[in-house]
Amino acid sequence: MKLRNFPSPIAPVIAIFFRLFLSFLFFYAAFEKIADPQEFAVTIYNYQILPNFALNLLAVTLPWLEVFLAVCLFLGIYVRGASFLSSLLFLTFATALSINLVRGLDISCGCFGKSSESINWFYLVRDFTLFLMSLFVFFFNRGWRHFFSPSSASK
Amino acid sequence: MKIFYRMHKTYIGSILNSTLKESAIIAAIALIFAISFNLLRSSHIPLLGFSSANLIKQQQALIPEINIRDAYDLYLKKKVVFVDARDPLSFAEGHIAGALNIYPDEASLHAATLKTKLTSDSLVITYCDGPQCPLSKETAHTLLLRGIPMVKVLVNGWNLWLNAGYPVTKGKS
Repeated sequence: MKLRNFPSPIAPVIAIFFRLFLSFLFFYAAFEKIADPQEFAVTIYNYQILPNFALNLLAVTLPWLEVFLAVCLFLGIYVRGASFLSSLLFLTFATALSINLVRGLDISCGCFGKSSESINWFYLVRDFTLFLMSLFVFFFNRGWRHFFSPSSASK
Repeated sequence: MKIFYRMHKTYIGSILNSTLKESAIIAAIALIFAISFNLLRSSHIPLLGFSSANLIKQQQALIPEINIRDAYDLYLKKKVVFVDARDPLSFAEGHIAGALNIYPDEASLHAATLKTKLTSDSLVITYCDGPQCPLSKETAHTLLLRGIPMVKVLVNGWNLWLNAGYPVTKGKS
């Protein structure tokens, strides 16, 4: 196997790093939420955005969505869909955070389960950075094959 | 130019199509997996049955209480802001000297002004009248949620304070 297109263009390389980073992040974030969904439902409740009937359903589903996003991003399956969903998620988190930062509520972020600290503007910047990383993956991911397969070299 | 535009449009369309399709598949698998996993695990939670009333009760039960002696001690040291959680009429008839009147429904509105009156080592003590009165805990709960760091409840506060003969005043806040 011959190494092609390496290291230029640089964007697909960065996209792969971002992909793996997001994948580990999602795994880490989902772990505690799956262990204690009731606690996570309380965290979502504290944001005071969603109606009560949606809280448990979201608390059960969201961590598993994060797990499947992590798997897809790690293995390179459905990367477009996964990075699209990931960017939507981070945009939603950022919106929920902003609303409560403006409201002045002193609530736990819940970003990585119980151990999270109270919400602050740093978390908003972090969410926005992760949103941009997901978008980067969406636009520039070419997968490992881009660097190794002979067919892509002619493109 | 037209052909180029059309090709471009078809290309974006196909990307959008595949993205939405992939997203829907991932979301559907996650949903099915999550619901099944929740049903199978021993500590499963009801999917549509979140009770905020129970939760608020649990959270209110965790708010620390203070006894009348300690409260008066802090009052003498001027390290406390008393918050009267009763209705404005009862407040006007008599309240702890220097207390603010914050009814539970209005607690989130008053939190910011209350914050400005606190020093780093001062405490907020909420009270109402009667051992079963829920108002002091409700106000305390909302104030804690709104970022007031140290809030304690003086259970049956007005009654105890009045009987102890500690300073009281009348009138609106």
